[in-house]
Parts: sequence; structure tokens; C-alpha cells
Amino acid sequence: MRTLSTSLARRGVLLAALCGGLLAACGDFNVTDPNNPTLDDLVKHPTKAKLAVAATGLFIGARSDVTSLIWRFGSMGREGANLAGNNQPDYQEPFFGPLATTQFGGSEWFVEYASIRSINTYLDAVPRAPDLSAEERAASIGFAQTLKAVSLFYVIEGRAALGAPVDVDRAVSATPAPFVSEDSVYGYIIGQLDEANDSLLAAGGSFPFPMPPGFNGFDTPASYAKFNRALAARAWLFRATATPACGATCYNNALTALAGSFITSNAADFRVGAYFDYSTNPGDVQNELAEPLNGTTYFALNFNVDDAQLQAGGAPDQRVVDKLSFIDPGDTTVSYQLSGFPFAVNRKFTNYFSNGAADQSAPIPIIRDEELVLLRAEANIGLNNLAAAITDLNLVRVNAGNLPPTTLTGASPKAAFIDELLYNRRYSLLWEQGSRWVDARRYNLLNTIQVAVPNGEVPTRMPIPADECAARGLGTSCNPLGT
Amino acid sequence: MRKPLSWTFISLLPLVLAASPGGLAAQERVLTGVVTRAADGRPLVDAVVTLAGKAAGAQTDASGRYSLTIPEGAIRVLVRAIGYKRQELPVAADQTELNVAMVQDVFNLEEVVITGQATETERRSSTTSTAVVDGADVSQVQSQSLDRALQGRIAGANIQTNSGAPGSGVQVQIRGPHTIIGNAQPLIVVDGVIYSNVTVASGLSTVTASSSNIGRGNAQDDGTNRLADINPDDIESIEVLKSAAAGSIYGSKAANGVVIIHTKRGSTGKLHATLSQRIGFSELLRGPDFRVFDTASAFALFDSALVRSYEVNGKLPAYDHLREFAGNKPLSYESQLDLAGGSARTRYFISGGWKKDNGIVGNTGAERQTLRANVSQQLNDKLTLDLTTAFVRNDNDKGFTNNDNTGASVTYSLAYIPSFIPLKPVNGVYPTPEIGYFGSNPLQTARLATNNEKVLRYTGGATLTWNAWTTDRQALKLVAAGGGDFFSQKNKIIAPPELTFEQTLPFPGVITVGNADNQDLNWNLNAVHTFVPVSQSFRATTAAGVQYEDRQLNTSRITATGILPGQTDVSQGSVVSAPQEVRTTERTLAFYGQEQVQALRDRLILVGSFRAERSSVLGDPNKYWFYPRASGAYRFPDLLGAGSEVKLRAAYGQTGNLPLFGQKFTSLNGGQTYGGNGGTTVGTTSGAQGIEPERVKEFEAGVDADLWNGRATLQATWARNVTSNLLLSRTPATSSGFNEEFLNGGSMRNISVELAAGVVPIQTSSVNWIARATFTSLRNRVLSLAVPGFRPPTAGFGLAFGEFFIQPGHSATQIIGTVGYDSDGNPITKVLGDANPDFRITLANDVTWKHLAFSMLWDWQQGGAAQNQTLSLYDCNQLAPDQGTPVGIKRANACLQDGVATPFVQSTTFLKLREVSVFWTLPQRWVQTLFPGADNARIGVTGRNLLLFTDYFGYDPESSNFGAQAITRNIDLGPYPSSRNFSFNVTVGF
Repeated sequence: MRTLSTSLARRGVLLAALCGGLLAACGDFNVTDPNNPTLDDLVKHPTKAKLAVAATGLFIGARSDVTSLIWRFGSMGREGANLAGNNQPDYQEPFFGPLATTQFGGSEWFVEYASIRSINTYLDAVPRAPDLSAEERAASIGFAQTLKAVSLFYVIEGRAALGAPVDVDRAVSATPAPFVSEDSVYGYIIGQLDEANDSLLAAGGSFPFPMPPGFNGFDTPASYAKFNRALAARAWLFRATATPACGATCYNNALTALAGSFITSNAADFRVGAYFDYSTNPGDVQNELAEPLNGTTYFALNFNVDDAQLQAGGAPDQRVVDKLSFIDPGDTTVSYQLSGFPFAVNRKFTNYFSNGAADQSAPIPIIRDEELVLLRAEANIGLNNLAAAITDLNLVRVNAGNLPPTTLTGASPKAAFIDELLYNRRYSLLWEQGSRWVDARRYNLLNTIQVAVPNGEVPTRMPIPADECAARGLGTSCNPLGT
Repeated sequence: MRKPLSWTFISLLPLVLAASPGGLAAQERVLTGVVTRAADGRPLVDAVVTLAGKAAGAQTDASGRYSLTIPEGAIRVLVRAIGYKRQELPVAADQTELNVAMVQDVFNLEEVVITGQATETERRSSTTSTAVVDGADVSQVQSQSLDRALQGRIAGANIQTNSGAPGSGVQVQIRGPHTIIGNAQPLIVVDGVIYSNVTVASGLSTVTASSSNIGRGNAQDDGTNRLADINPDDIESIEVLKSAAAGSIYGSKAANGVVIIHTKRGSTGKLHATLSQRIGFSELLRGPDFRVFDTASAFALFDSALVRSYEVNGKLPAYDHLREFAGNKPLSYESQLDLAGGSARTRYFISGGWKKDNGIVGNTGAERQTLRANVSQQLNDKLTLDLTTAFVRNDNDKGFTNNDNTGASVTYSLAYIPSFIPLKPVNGVYPTPEIGYFGSNPLQTARLATNNEKVLRYTGGATLTWNAWTTDRQALKLVAAGGGDFFSQKNKIIAPPELTFEQTLPFPGVITVGNADNQDLNWNLNAVHTFVPVSQSFRATTAAGVQYEDRQLNTSRITATGILPGQTDVSQGSVVSAPQEVRTTERTLAFYGQEQVQALRDRLILVGSFRAERSSVLGDPNKYWFYPRASGAYRFPDLLGAGSEVKLRAAYGQTGNLPLFGQKFTSLNGGQTYGGNGGTTVGTTSGAQGIEPERVKEFEAGVDADLWNGRATLQATWARNVTSNLLLSRTPATSSGFNEEFLNGGSMRNISVELAAGVVPIQTSSVNWIARATFTSLRNRVLSLAVPGFRPPTAGFGLAFGEFFIQPGHSATQIIGTVGYDSDGNPITKVLGDANPDFRITLANDVTWKHLAFSMLWDWQQGGAAQNQTLSLYDCNQLAPDQGTPVGIKRANACLQDGVATPFVQSTTFLKLREVSVFWTLPQRWVQTLFPGADNARIGVTGRNLLLFTDYFGYDPESSNFGAQAITRNIDLGPYPSSRNFSFNVTVGF
């Protein structure tokens, strides 16, 4: 009796004859992916050219959640509201609470980790590329590790004491990376930035890939290192508020990092910094926050005006004047209301306008000089160098806000300094990084944010997304560190 | 390869003893006669008269005459014809003439059903549950597509429309779900050619931005599955293979069942021409009511100055916006011409159809032209060639509906606009609602938006049958069949810049052009050997063959925004997004062998088969996968009285389900730029390099009983299928940087109880009443998973609104949701429902009284649940009609304050009157007067979806925002409203 396999083998011979002579020939069964480059190929056979494309991809990854972060954090901080109503959670969760573990509350997580996955893949591949010099490898590694810090910073800003996983460069089938504390996440971020800085300083004169326009002035390893140091300063300060015990160590490290950054004390440089680029080119992403005045998605809340200090002439803080407009500047009664949202709105943000019109190619700052000045003030407040702090606060107040100098003196209470710092961070960074909400939490001042709606609440932190919890067998909502 | 029915009797059954041994010539004599229809005495063409127990036969001609050579002595002959009950009659030794009147086989008890690629058997010898639907049943009442016409006609099948749009998608689920993310649709085979039923998304998501994830966005486009390209009028019969045992020979395509469609064939004799004309109209079946505001209730919600500005004579008006854009009663037309005829060696069927259904939402509709030519040619005594060709042009306009994030969907934005806001144009200008959704004016969108889909499709097949070798006891038949199925689909979406919601965007106006090319080729070679021993104690049919299939689908799309006013070309945009192109290829090669034995005077039937298969979409494309099958049945003739029959049957079989193309790849996403440079990011889906097929193992057992001389029939089946090695698309810990991972692992079970019963309570010369009922109940349970419980892709829109959740020990189609929060603010979830209904009962009645025929089909679904997000939209916006009442306030609070899903998971219990028809066959004298030259004529009125009884809020308990989905159907989010259709029909035969 013949075995099945012999029988099949004979059939195979028969089949070969059939395929040769009959109808359509049998096609090749080894079908490779015709539509996309594969991960395997990049990791196993990297070249300078493939890595250059992947490096551009790292910018794409790092940018991909920024507009979302701005309006979500901005909604929780009552800077603005997303009244697209496309999903009720977009206004229901930040204004009425609670934050869900999917939808709104589950955001600012996966996209950041997808960026980190691209970065880690790139970091795996770089050492294997035969046509990269040692300097080019160092430049590539320093570049990528710095962007990793950017993405992870966004995650921990939202989750705060819930912590986050950091050791995520592992197979998707492996046990998920453990959660570590907020302090450890900032520690990891700072570690990445420090390693990156070391690499950048050993990286020669240029990057082995093109740098985008938003990194003008930060497009060589040496100048990019200044951007790296600016991020390190911010991470040290956020670590300081997360971990009060860090105290002077954190503040001094922040000042050290700032010294290596691109900080100036010149108001004309306030807008100097590193930016994410947007454009209307095919394949590129538009700045979705750049919405025309009759757009119906993003609105500025009037708290921005109500809370603003007045200029000498009675006009509100110049930063409000610069960044806000009525829906119809000619008719201030024109308002928009969404069914289900309890009040009408009549102001829009104009941050991302050029020549008086919404500009979908307007870049969004990652970090810029004006913030660095306020970071220096914050470090000095932390170290009780109040005179230095007052100098920096006034630099921003007077120049950006067109306000009279602060009335604070060395004798003023610390809380007043914090208020003044947060006031300036709020208006200088308005609709740029959701800083009002994050800062209020950092300083336990969430109760200073208006609830704005009946039965509303201001969330304290974003929950761990349902998918993350479920994959760990922790149900759909979890707090792995029990914080 | 299924052979045409009309050939079955000539070429297969008579095969065994067809040769007339010349040595017996001395003892021969000739029997002649006429076979007629008992009902009206008209001659019956293509009836087959054979010697009982033998198979040599003769066939009646156009006048019903036959001539059969028979041996000396008293014998018995068997007379058979499709659609009629067989008769076995004695012939005396001296008799030379026998006239027979045939009685209709109401329940198709004697229909031939397939048992393999090239083998078939009579239905009464089938070892598995059979479901055969006559072509007349699916074409009598107008329907938009074949799958809709099948609703309520098949026990064990859950057939559900995705929306009410003309040409919208339909999903057919047979004894399932069998998969969570794999292909969920049955295999369609038309005249032996595998027929693509793929859904190619229109690209509407480029306007609605229903999801930034392209795949998820595509799923929300309310795509048309391409079964829509079949003209139900061309169909002779439809056979559904429900079990893994029955479908095992189709291997990894058959996990979800196989739908085998036979198109009409010509018959010997003069040309028959049939001309049908329909004209009808549709109207809105059902839709959400609106909230009526007084000034006080409006002030409570909206800015008072804004509200005041809408007052008319000091009062707030109330407009029925839904009926302002979906209140049309558009006309529909359909014309069909069939030509059928043939000679002794040639038969042909040629048909042409033209149909236009206008949609109830302005600017929508479905138009279809079909041409079909089927030719059968007997080349010589041993060779037969069957050719089928069909050409279809489908042209649909579906409008903008379903989930939406930009204000494009008319049914979505409707839920945001209070009734006091006028939407009708003033001096030709549509107002922008100041309370609404992206400023969307749905009346304007319905009027100006275009969502067009044009499909050209050619399907052709050829079957060559060679009765190679025939002796007294053995026969060998070789069948070669091949076919091609080609279509091109062009989609064009235009959201002109003047649309009010587009005006709020930086670059108003969107045009998307999509192209798809599909090419499916398949061929098979089969050898069938039949053996009957001298004792005639059994009959053994051995079949073996090889089958090859090659499917290629290429799609591409380009989108531009910032459209110049009045322009309709994609080139007339100011911003062009990245073009997309996706190419897929799937190749499958399989061998099979099958043995079928009928013994104990045909009382015992045993079937065994295996299939070995490899496929290019699997991790190892060179590995063969085996799918075995074994089944048996035993018949008890006359057990419950003369003419009755009871059959016990049991079957076990395995089938597979292939992964979708690309699930084994982990890609880098290209096509992206940043700062003017191209970039790649790691794709968010982690592929499974070693991906394997899912395997369905099914056992079914059942009883078939024919009682009361064929006037009553009952088929009862219990089936249990388990899918193991489940393809999973789970969401891993998203901190991995992937939000989707493909893997194999886990198992799921279905238990299906099906009853199909029929009875002819009244059967007199003037009155005939046929009643048929089906009962279906399915229970699903996830037995095990290789991963923790997970949200399937497209599970829903958050636990606060209800979501699907896959976990062991629970039904795969359960819907869970938040019901409250613990003291830490963490949501407490619980099971709120199950998409799968408790049971489904259908009841069809056909009554004829003299020249009048009346039929109706009721469909009752009990239980089941849907995520009714249409309701949540109305509730979250406080615009549901009962928002002023405590019940309404509670639901609004569920959305706005409590974040609980309970009210939004609703029962889908419904009772639908799916079909009603009344036909009157005109008396001959009228026929001659009205239609000179015609043989017969009938006129009638038909209706579809006439009544719907349900407590469900909104449009229709049957809807699926994500289209055809194994699990995540029943998500209702602003679907195209369902319609009720009426039609007046005239059919004239020449």
C-alpha cells in the first residue's frame, strides 16, 4: 500500500505537467509583501539610505500625537474645547468626567509608544548598517534617543503618578514591560537624553539624513545637542515636582542642562526653538489645530480672557490678544453651540494663523526659548534664587504679555511665585502643549481650574488605557503601581 | 464542479447502465408515451424515463413524448423530472404505451444536491442537512440583491443587511460565527466558478474621516459585497452547504458555508421567451422621531439669544428633518427578457436585465444591467461542453451615511440639529445650522453629495464532461472545469466645496477616486468512477481531483481637497493626499479524494472524503493541510405510512479558514513625508510569520421526514462546530507600539438547532396552500484563547457606549459596557447583551386559488442586541423625542454624566413582513387579446419590508456600521434608512 505522501509526490509530478499545459499556469506560492517595505528587511539588512528614510519616519512618529495632546490637555485645563461632537467623549470626558480608559482618556499612549517602537527598531538597525561611519552611527543614535525622550515625556505628562512602562523594546509576544514610577520614568527620560547627548558630542559635523525645516538651527549633532539639553532641563523640573525629595538636585541639574541649551535672555529669541513641521504636501500631515474662524472643532474658552491680567491701556495680556479671536471679529455676538454641550462659545485660537488666516502648514513648537526662560525661573524658585526668578518672570511678562513688571519681591510667599510662574506658563504656552492642566497638577492647584459645566470635574490624570490593562490581564481599567 | 441540473439525469444517473447490450436485441421492445403535468395536463419536457433499478433512460421531447427500449416481460419503469415527484410504474409484458402525469415536488424532496466537486446525489440520499431554494423564490419579489432575497429562507443562516442603502452590503452567516477576524462570508460558487463576494470600500471615509485608521475607515463605508452583481432572475436554484461535512471538499474556503448557485439552462424544444416588467416605488420604513421644543426647554439647553432667533411668530417651529431628505417616494423599474430553447444536442439560455432602484435619500440609487448566455452542447455521445458567460454593469449611488467625524453623514449630523432649526434652502442657499454638527446641513448634503460606484464584471466558465468509459457495471467520467471572474470597480466621491460642513474646513471640498481590479481564476480536474456489482447490492462512486485557484485584487485611491467650485475631477483640488495602492494575491492548490457508497437498496448511504491543500497566504506556503470528512444516512421508506420516508443522518467534517492576505507581514508604513522627505514608520500591526489556517470541526445529526405523500416535510438538525487554531487579532499591550497583533490560538464553539418544515394543508384542483417554516437557534461560546480576553478590532466606541469583548466562557458576540464606577472611579463593566439572537423563526405561505397566487414571508427574530449608537447620539445631544420625560432624562444622563452604556445596548427583537406578493395569471383569451402571440401572462403586485414591529430606537435593528463582520456587526451608527418597497409586475411568456 502506497503512503499518502508518495501518492502526493506523484500527484505533484502530474500537477507540474498540468500547470505547464493547462489554462493559467500555477503561480508562485511564495508571495512577498508587494505593498510596503518590511520591518524584517530594515532590521536585518539596513543601509544608510533605508535608515535615512527611517530617520525621517522618527519625526513623523514623534509628531503624530501632538495636536491631539494639545487639545486634550487643553480641554482638561479649560484652555479650549473640541466641539466637533464627532465623539461625545471629546468634550464629555474632559469636562464632565470621568475619563474613560478607551476614547479620550485612553489617548496619548499608544501613538507615543508606536513612535518609540519605530525609534527602538531604528536603534536596533543602525549598528548593522555597513555603510554608516562610526560618527554617523553616533549621530543617528543620539538623534533617535532624544526623540524617544520626547515621546515618553508626553506619556508621563498625562499619566503622572500612574507611571508607565519604559523597557518596551521587546517582542510583542513577550510579557509586557513592567510599569515603573513617575520618578523612574523621568529618570529614564533623563538617562536617554544624557546618553544621546554623549553620542551627539561624538558625532561629527552632520547627520546622515536630511533634517526638516523645524529643526533649523538644530540640524547638526552639536546644535541638536542644545535641543537635547533643553528637553533635559524640562525633564529635571517635572521630576522635581513629581518627586519633591529630589529637591535641589533636580533644580541644579535643570540649570546645568539649561546652560547647555539654546536659552537666551533676549525677548527677540522667544520663538527660537525646535518645531514639528506640517504641510499640505501629499503624504504629509496638516496642522489640524489651524482651523479657520468659522471652523466648528476647536474653540477657545472665555476663561482665557477673564483670567488674563490687563496691559497698561486696559487691553488684556498681549498673549491673549495674539492668540485669540472672536469667531466673527466684526460681530462679537456670533456664537456656536453644540447640542449636548451646555454653553455657547464665541472665540477661536489663532496661534496657527499666518497672514490672518489659518495655516495648515504652521509648525508647532516642541520647545522654544520663551519656555526655557520660564524653566530657568522655575528652577530658581525651587532653589530660592528669587531675584533671578523675578528677572526671568519679568522678561516674559513684559515682553510677551506687554504687562507691567511683577509686584513680587524676595519677601513674597513661595506660593505667589508659583502662581506667577504658572500664569506666565499658561499664557506663553497657551494651546501649545496643554501646560495649564499639567502644571496645575504638578503644583496641586487643579482646583484653580474652572469646572465650567454643571456637575463637571477637572480630571487629575489620564487613566491607563483599557488595551494596556487587558493585555496584562488586569481588566479594562488598572493601576499597576497602586498609586 | 456542479453540473447543470437538466443534464444530471441524462449524463450521470443513466451512466451506469446506459449501454444497451447488443446481444439482447432479440428480447427488446419499445415503450412510448407522453409525460404531462398533473396540474394542467401540459406536456413535460426533459422528463426522464428509466428502467427501475437500472439507469438506461430516455428523455421526453418538447411535446412530452419519449421512446424507451425495454426488455421482454413485465417490468417497472421510473419516471422523473426536475421539480416533480418520481413515479415508479409497472409495465405489463405486452404493454407498449405508458402515459404519465407528474405531480409537483413542492418541497424539492427529490432535488439533486451536490456531494463533491463533480458528484451529486438526490436530496433524499443526502447525508447532511440540505437547503435548496428555488430561483423563483428569490426573484418573485423585487430585491436589491440575491442575499437580501434569501433572508428568511434558510434555516441555520443569519442573513443581515448592513444598511438600507440601495446596493448596501449584506452579510450571510451560516451556523456561525466561525472566526473572529478571518473571512466571515460563505464561499459563492456560480455554475462551478468561484465567484468573488469581496467588498471593496468606496473611500467615503476620506470625507467622513470615520477613522484615521484606513482599514477601520474603509470598513465604515457601507460597502457593497459583490454578490450584488448576480441577477436573481437568472437563478435556477441555490443550494447552501451549511456544515463542515458538506463543504469539506471546498477545504479552507468552506468554513462559513458554501452557497452554490445554478443559473438557468435552456431546454429542448422551441424557443421560450419571457418578458417581465416591474415598476414600483420605495418609501422610508422607519426612522427616529425628533424632539419638539418649547422656548423653556430650548433655553435649558441652548443659548437663549440663539434660540430666540429661530422663533417664528413667538413660537419655536418643529421640522421633521429626516423626512425632509428621506421622505421621497422614488420610482424603481426593472425589465427582464429571457430566451430559452434548444435542440437535441444544444441548449441555450440568454437573458438580459435592466433594473433601476432609486433611493429614498435624494441622489441615491442602484442601477444594474445584466447579460447572460449559457450554452450546453453535446459534442458527441461522450463529450458535453457547458459554457456560461455573464456580463454585469452595476452603478450605485449611496449617498453619505454611517459614522462620521466631519459632518458629512446625513443620518449622523441629523442627530445634532434641534428640530426648530430650518434646513430648507432660502433663495437657493442652504442655511448653516448654528446648533449642529460641523455646520452640516443634511438636506444640502443629500442633494449635492456624490458617492458613486460603477462595476463592470465578466464571469465565464466552461465545463467539459467526458463519459470516458462505460460498461454494465462501471463507468468513468472525467470532468474538466475552469472559469474566470473579473471585475473592475470605480468609485467616485464628491463632497463639493459649497457644502456647509466643508465650508468650515481649511480646504473645502473633497474628491476621491478609487479603482479596483479583481481577477479570480480557478480550474479543476475530476475523475469520477462508478461501480455497481453484479448483485447490484451497492453502488460505489469514487472521485478524485485537483483544484487550483488564483485570486488577485488590486485597489488604488487618490484624494484631493480644496476643490474648485463646480469641478468634479480629482485634479481640480488644491491639496492632494498621498495616493494609496494595495495589491493582494492568494493562490490555493488542493487535491481531493472521495468515496460514496449506496447500499441496502439505496437505504444506506456512506460518504468519506479528504482534501489536502496549500495556500500562499499561510506562513508556510508549501505545507499541505488535510481536511477529512465522513458521513452517513439511513432511510426508512414507508415507515410512517405509504409514501412516507424517514431518514436518520449524521456527518462529521473539517474545513478551514484562511488568513487574509498580508496577515503574515509586519510592514513599515511608507507613503509618508515630513519636511519634504519620505519617511517610514513601523506599522502598527504585528504580523504572524507562521500563520496557520483556522480549522472548523463539525458534527451534525438530524432527521428528515417526508409525510403525507410528500405533502408534509420536516428536517431537524443539531450541529456542533468548533473552530480551533483561531486567527486572532488581539490588541497587545499598546506600550509595545503595536495596537494589533495577528496570532493563532484559541477555540470557539457553535451549537445550532435548525428546523425546516413544510406542509400543504390544502391541495385541491382549485386551491393549493403551501406553508413553510424555519427555526434557527445558535449558541456561541469561546472555549479558550491563547491571550487574555480582548477587544476585537472595531469592537465599538468605548465601554461607556457598549463594546464587543472576546473572553473564554462567554459568547464571542457578547456586548459589554460600563454600568457604573467604583470608589476609585474605575468603570464596572458587565454583559449587556449578545448580538446573536435567541432564535429566529420564519414563516412563508403560498396560496394559489385558481388563477390567483398569494404569498407572504414573515421573519421573526427574538432577542439579540445591538450597540445603538444612533440612540446615543440623540441622547447625548438631548434631542431624542422623549428627552422631556424621566426615561429620556435618564438616558441623557447616562451619556452626559454617568458614563454608562446600559441604555445604548438595545434588544434587536423584531418581526418583519419581508415579502408579500399577489399574482394573477391571465386567462388565455385575455392573453391573446392583450399580448398577441403570447402563450401566457400574469400580473401582480409585490412588496418587500412592508411591516416592521420592534421596540428598537431609530431605523432598523439590522444594521452594521462596520459592514460584514464575523463578530462586530450590530453596531448602529447613523445607517442609511431602510425602505419599504412596492412593485407592480407584468410577465408575458411567448
